[in-house]
Amino acid sequence: MTLDAVVIGAGADGLVAAHYLARAGKRVFVLERRDGNPPWPDAGWTPPRVVRELALARHGLRTAAPDPWLAVPLPDGGRLELWRDVRKSADAIRRLSPRDAERWPAFCERMARLARLLEALYAAPPFDPLSRAPADLWRLALTGLRARRLGRQGMLDLLRLLPMPVQDLLDDWFESDVLKGAVGAAGILHLKQGPRSGGTAFGLLHHHVGSPPGVFRPPSSNLGRVLESLPGVEVRRGDRAVVARIAVRDGRVTGVVLAHGEEIAAPCVISEADPRTTLCDLLEPGWLDPDVVGAVRHVRCRGVTARVMLTLDRAPGFEVLAVAPSLDYLERAYDHAKYGRISEQPYLEARHEAGSNAGEHRVTVHAQFAPYAPADGGWDAARREALGDRGVRTLAEHVPALSDTVVSRTVLAPPDLEAAWGWPEGQPYHAELALDQVLFMRPMPQLSAYRAPVGGLYLCGPAMHPGAGIAGAAGANAAKVVLRDG
Amino acid sequence: MARPYDAIVIGGGHNGLVTAAYLAQAGKRVVVLERRERVGGAAVSEQVFPGFTYSVFSYVVSLLRPEIIRDLELPRHGLHVLPLESTLTPLPNGDYLAQWGDHDQSRRELYRHSPRDAEAYDEFGRLMHHLARAVRPILGMRPPDPTSLSPRDLLGLLTLGRHFRGLDRPVFHALHKLMTMSSADYLDEWFETEALKATKGASGIIGTLLGPRSPGTAYVLLHHYMGEIDGVFRAWGFARGGTGSVSEAIASAARGFGAEIRTNASVARVLLRGGRATGVVLESGDEIAAPIVVSGADPRRTFLGLVGEAHLPGEFVEDIRRFRFRGSSGKVNLALDALPNFTCLPGVGPHLRGAVSVSPSVAYLERAYDDAKYGEFSRRPYMDIVIPSMIDPGMAPPGKHVMSIFVQYCPYHLNGGWTDAKREAFGDAVIDTLARFAPNLKSIILHRQVITPADTERIAGLAEGNIFHGELTLQQLFFLRPAPAWADYRTPIAGLYQCGAGTHPGGGIMGGSGRMAARAILGARS
Repeated sequence: MTLDAVVIGAGADGLVAAHYLARAGKRVFVLERRDGNPPWPDAGWTPPRVVRELALARHGLRTAAPDPWLAVPLPDGGRLELWRDVRKSADAIRRLSPRDAERWPAFCERMARLARLLEALYAAPPFDPLSRAPADLWRLALTGLRARRLGRQGMLDLLRLLPMPVQDLLDDWFESDVLKGAVGAAGILHLKQGPRSGGTAFGLLHHHVGSPPGVFRPPSSNLGRVLESLPGVEVRRGDRAVVARIAVRDGRVTGVVLAHGEEIAAPCVISEADPRTTLCDLLEPGWLDPDVVGAVRHVRCRGVTARVMLTLDRAPGFEVLAVAPSLDYLERAYDHAKYGRISEQPYLEARHEAGSNAGEHRVTVHAQFAPYAPADGGWDAARREALGDRGVRTLAEHVPALSDTVVSRTVLAPPDLEAAWGWPEGQPYHAELALDQVLFMRPMPQLSAYRAPVGGLYLCGPAMHPGAGIAGAAGANAAKVVLRDG
Repeated sequence: MARPYDAIVIGGGHNGLVTAAYLAQAGKRVVVLERRERVGGAAVSEQVFPGFTYSVFSYVVSLLRPEIIRDLELPRHGLHVLPLESTLTPLPNGDYLAQWGDHDQSRRELYRHSPRDAEAYDEFGRLMHHLARAVRPILGMRPPDPTSLSPRDLLGLLTLGRHFRGLDRPVFHALHKLMTMSSADYLDEWFETEALKATKGASGIIGTLLGPRSPGTAYVLLHHYMGEIDGVFRAWGFARGGTGSVSEAIASAARGFGAEIRTNASVARVLLRGGRATGVVLESGDEIAAPIVVSGADPRRTFLGLVGEAHLPGEFVEDIRRFRFRGSSGKVNLALDALPNFTCLPGVGPHLRGAVSVSPSVAYLERAYDDAKYGEFSRRPYMDIVIPSMIDPGMAPPGKHVMSIFVQYCPYHLNGGWTDAKREAFGDAVIDTLARFAPNLKSIILHRQVITPADTERIAGLAEGNIFHGELTLQQLFFLRPAPAWADYRTPIAGLYQCGAGTHPGGGIMGGSGRMAARAILGARS
């Protein structure tokens, strides 16, 4: 059998790309060294078009919709609960600040309008602002028109918001520290910045994409599992699916060579791995311009989050609970990371799901900041456990019964996440979400069209536009480019 | 009775004077009203102690627009800018990093620290030079309103779009990175020498309450290279007689064109009739009428103070209230009995004729920022130091010297507020920090003047003591400075214009705002 394309990686983006190609009649083979998906359901928003075109809903795609979408402990012992219903949230906020409650609906409406613009931009390959090709000019004009359709207020919101610190944005709207901390945490999610840093308001907007107005966390779904069960694409997993090398002849890829020596020929290779792995480790050396290699090495992908996985014998009494009591708290957590240390008081966000066995409950705790390479020595068992203790202790301050219900605990530091899931430096977005690494700059201008500078080689992972937690969109966009190239 | 005034300029800062000079040159009868007893605003030279002249608030002439120097013939009016050629960064380990006026010498010096950086230095310089050329025309462009559909605004946007689309691909992308990245990240891509990254990157934090790792701090790196391009006009450096001499030269040019300049004339209010500005009323109660009123004060003072929010649209008032000042820098001016002796480079040498930068590493700057973001002044601050008397002996009595220390961070919003005791404590922190590199410093100080943002606000009238009339962050630049739709020097009040640094291009002793305001008033196409 001759193949049309090999896809490296069976994550959401790799599989989406493979299925799009298969739908177009291409013979595709997917290679995945790992068995299964990560044990947490955090595939993010998937553009409706992808859901429709791959009939994912029919195959059981479910988007989690916890309600309240976030609970944050209050200093007096209660909780602020933010709901999917904007008015219900406003009622909850009123106890903290009547003024903030009044402003909440307008804030939600204004942010949602901007997020819709991003959704439109994320559902297609990035526009190229410099191209003179008619199709690109058309897209550029369309983007301009879309921005105009935001109206005067919306356009100004967008222009002003993009470079802003999320703290300034929220200070303009609200006075309650608790509310600002809860909402603002979305601005620094997986980012090595604090809420006072420029560009973090964009982070808030990005993580709002795909959620209804008033929900400022990325949605999550079972996309990975649905794609696994979707028929039509051959996937090989495990030790006999480890790609050692992407073979090139005369400036074009000829296929891949596997670790056990097997060669798989294909005129097209689509890699879901991060750009550094794909271009510096897997690609046969010598084919890339040194400038490109330099730029690949400069793609910033600093992992800052550890995961604490808890198994409980009882329900913890929350769906999503965040410890982010104020923007200053988040900023101080970042201060430690700035100098390469683990936050003494990290930003925590705990998500509860029912476990696979009856009566078992799982809680995944996002713990930020935990640097990939701490300045005072690497990650060892003691350091992992200390972080786990700190996380559980902090949560237990707000959920007193928690400590007694923990059956088991695993701490995954950024190096563990890198080893297990191929996240460079433990960064799940493969390339940090920053204004110089989005749209036509993602992850770097030379790669933003999904094409590597070697004929037949494409990238489709989270480092590609839109990536960064938008599940499957980069894969779909990459597949479109592959098909267009023939 | 004399001919009535065509225009009143509120504030005799350098921008107000530039506007007045251009208007007078065009034949308008102009009066400048300055609250203090001298013109200059934040660009003043004062003999605070007999025989010693300080540029009290500012210290270098940066990017003074060459057009202004030419149009107003400033050299004929006494402007003489002397180059500041070197920058010395003393290091805690007793070594130093120097950047000299001579390019090859700088490279050799850098080679000592890192051969790799020395290699990258030229290429970096070339790229930045390209980027500076790409951005420089924007400084002289009247910002269009991006939300408007008026032919003039659309044309402005189109011109802007064409300008950027006309750039080479690598230049465009590099410019995008520069505009959106942090100075630390941007420089990390090029260099490994901490002192080099910190000293270059420090320009990005000046006048803002951001740290060097915050996105949005990289683009100010360009200013230096724009200064190099303008350098042929001698537009960057040290003004003989202090920065006040720049103001004096512009004032002299304005007077030469027939403008009247009144000092000790504090404006209390802008007079309005039927939604139009008709003149001003002074604190003394005197009224002065003119169909055009131009304010060189910062946006908060102009709109919320002199006009009053009751007379302005609510949305505009919101925008001005939201405009961020957050003064973050202070100044320490010293009269010295002798020259400081730096441990890293002892004795008198060419390094004392340039700048001395206390910026040993990016982490040092970040730590300085950490203090400020929680409301304290930096215990170990970033400092940019010049010894004007080394370049211009007239600044101090023979054998003695003046030293100007620009200090950051020194937040306006200090925990508990500023008091005399805290001002002195801040001064002590500055002297202690510098004395670690120049141990004789404490023994040679004759007089010390400490300026906090609260002092800058009180004396020079700049809101929250922000030296740029509002932070130069991306969300407050170009068509958003100071408020959308009103970034073209007009205001919601007919006949009232703005010419201060709170408008594009703002910041530094540049004069760009003053010139473009005059052009907007005169109806010139820009």
